[in-house]
Amino acid sequence: MKLKSINTYLILLIGLVAASCEFDNFEEPKSTLSGRIVYNDEPLGLRSNGVQLELWQRGYDLFQKIPVYVAQDGTFSAVIFDGDYQMTLIRGNGPWMDRTDSIPVQVRGSQMIDVEVQPYFVINNTSFDVNGNSISVTFTLENTNSGRNLEYASIYMGRTMLTDAVRNDGVFRVPMDQIVYGTPITVNVPIPGGLASRSDIFVRVGAKTAGVAELVYSQAQSKPL
Amino acid sequence: MKKFNIYIIALALISAVTTSCDPDYLELEPPNILLDNQVWNDTKLVTGVLSNYYDRLPSHTSLTGGWADFAAYDEAMWSGYSGNDGLNNIGSYGFNRWQIWDYGLIRDINLSINKLNTISTLPDNQKTQFLSELRFIRAYVYFEHVKRMGGIPIITEELIYDFSGDPSYLQNPRNTEAEVYDFIISEMEEIIPTIGNNGSNTRANRFTALAVISRSALYAGSLAKYNSAMSAPIQLPGNEVGIDGSRAQGYYTKSLSASKTILEEGGYSLYNSNPDLGENFYEAVINKNGNPEVIWAQDFLLSADKRHGFTYDNVARSAREDNLGSSAITPSLNLVEDYEYLDGSSGELKIRTPDDSDYIYYDEVSDIFEGKDARLYGTIIYPGATFRGQEIFMQAGVMVWNGNSYDRIESDGLATEYIDGGTLVAAGGPHRSIQEVSNTGFYLRKYVDNAVGASTRGIRSEVWWVRFRLGEIYLNAAEAALELGQTGEALGYINTLRERAGFGANSLSSLTMEDIMHERRVELAFEDHVVWDYKRWRVAHEKWSGSTTNPESMIYSLYPYRVVRPGDPRDGKFIFMKSVAPRFRAPRFFQLGNYYSEISQGVIDANPKIVRNPFH
Repeated sequence: MKLKSINTYLILLIGLVAASCEFDNFEEPKSTLSGRIVYNDEPLGLRSNGVQLELWQRGYDLFQKIPVYVAQDGTFSAVIFDGDYQMTLIRGNGPWMDRTDSIPVQVRGSQMIDVEVQPYFVINNTSFDVNGNSISVTFTLENTNSGRNLEYASIYMGRTMLTDAVRNDGVFRVPMDQIVYGTPITVNVPIPGGLASRSDIFVRVGAKTAGVAELVYSQAQSKPL
Repeated sequence: MKKFNIYIIALALISAVTTSCDPDYLELEPPNILLDNQVWNDTKLVTGVLSNYYDRLPSHTSLTGGWADFAAYDEAMWSGYSGNDGLNNIGSYGFNRWQIWDYGLIRDINLSINKLNTISTLPDNQKTQFLSELRFIRAYVYFEHVKRMGGIPIITEELIYDFSGDPSYLQNPRNTEAEVYDFIISEMEEIIPTIGNNGSNTRANRFTALAVISRSALYAGSLAKYNSAMSAPIQLPGNEVGIDGSRAQGYYTKSLSASKTILEEGGYSLYNSNPDLGENFYEAVINKNGNPEVIWAQDFLLSADKRHGFTYDNVARSAREDNLGSSAITPSLNLVEDYEYLDGSSGELKIRTPDDSDYIYYDEVSDIFEGKDARLYGTIIYPGATFRGQEIFMQAGVMVWNGNSYDRIESDGLATEYIDGGTLVAAGGPHRSIQEVSNTGFYLRKYVDNAVGASTRGIRSEVWWVRFRLGEIYLNAAEAALELGQTGEALGYINTLRERAGFGANSLSSLTMEDIMHERRVELAFEDHVVWDYKRWRVAHEKWSGSTTNPESMIYSLYPYRVVRPGDPRDGKFIFMKSVAPRFRAPRFFQLGNYYSEISQGVIDANPKIVRNPFH
């Protein structure tokens, strides 16, 4: 009987030891790198998950990028280990001129960085008003004279902040003859049927540069219908 | 002293055992490995090596490799096992989707060429034949690489490391895209006189090599033309990607002359053995007995246990013989409507009256498809079509007239009965949510075996995978001729092909690039062409733009319903409803970075001379 109780005790002990084992002996990353894609200190509006930044870290056997996706408002963040990284911008990925120099990033605890880019086009001073079945959108399109042509500018309407050329409930292509760089442009856009019955509408203006897949957008704005 | 004695005895024993060995013991031939001089001096064994390489040829979608990806574009969606529903919810195609870097296979081929040249004592003409065939396979492997990755290093010799600690002499930079296409074409041209294998449609012969030229030169020509025509061409500074627009003419000319040689001298002809034109088109692909149209196929044989489960996975639900599987790849309404009516009118199905006030009522569920291009029947099983002698009836539910409008009634099971005693949901669906039954209202016919037992896991199918057939050569010739401004000649090729599908003679009198794109889409559906065609014409990012408002990025379904309206002449007739397929989730999204697939970081780490593809 005594032997049996010792056995029970042993089994319990093994169970305890096993349960208390640390399964993962690596610390998870705790530092946060966050930042914005900026031009003239203003964050650029983009398509959610459309633009990817790359983080590289040398000195380890595994040399693979850490992809960092940029949100629709031009911000990004990544939780990584402390260390010295290099950030690179993929050529032709965003609506800006290629920036071929990598950006050194030192991460010690939390870190904020602004990534300066030179976009081909910028959309400023966007506002819109709802008038019955249509909206009137005013914006200024700046050409930064970076040597690329404008393919088109469009008004995107949707039901969430994540409104862009891919996710939207209505698109209005701004006629090319109305586009004058640097002066306010106003267009009247009918509200698409799918949005008419909703309480809010989200509007963004996007400019497509020829040969670049991603557009530059204004920040999303919403108004009640 | 005693211990010492034991050592002596042990030593003596060991010496006795070792010295008494057969002196040749370490030079015995292994009983389980064939040696180089055995392999390369025996034609049967060399053929065995070749057959291994043929079997390892890369493919994106074929009957065995990657077949599920037929459901990843706009020809079809996935209606099979629900665990694979990711194919209906791709979001955006990954940049590594078409990635390939199979230098293992290229090295094996280079090694074989080397051994044949150095070790083999076979007769010279036999050796030359094998060498030609190996070079054919190698060039074809390069073609499979260049269409996915752009220019890659052309390696034609074994790379041997000297263990000096510096591997940099083994690191080759990428050749340009044009150089790789030129290499493929010139290799094919050089081996044509010596490759032999006349009359074979599973081993390469002269016309197989010409067919590869016909296709690859056409690809190179359209890449040169349409890439340069983009508002910002996709290219790299070293031209690893991007072919100069001025070269288009030359490539088109090469392609056209190769196609013409096949058409004039090949002795092939379009398959025309069955007076039923729909069945005829189906047989043109799958018939293995004296098929005059097939130039090169990957064959399967039941008795050699080389067979595949494509039919088990894709047979129509109501014709399946197994208790599981079926219905995986189901063609979309988009593709069905691409098949024109034989009077030349657009293929859009007539679902509602012209003024859109009411449905159009059909007596039989198959009547709506009457008068269509016979290739529709040969490619797709539509509601009411027959397969294996059995009607594949489809009905999604009933429409009950309530006095003012119709109430749609469906069921959560298959083969169910409505209260009036008639069918509610047919045994073959379609159904909104059940797995392994069509979600689009259509089933696949092309490549699905009509032999008895082929859709069981025990027997499976031996239908072959057609890599090249004469139908494609007609289309290649037509496209190249049109691009070269020889419209009359191009029209001749297209109209010949259309005649086989049931159109009258000279059904087209003018020809545009859109007609060619359309004709390739309907003729070559499910033959692994759509992705590569859209890529080389640089239209993939517009066709699959990732937007729910772009109908070409979405997958549509067509559901037949039986009208329940007692006392009315329309009672018992069929009406149709079109909608986005219920199990389809995310529009197809092809980005500029998809035109050339990503070279993996491991490759670049090992060889820093490799430059990345654009947008990666």
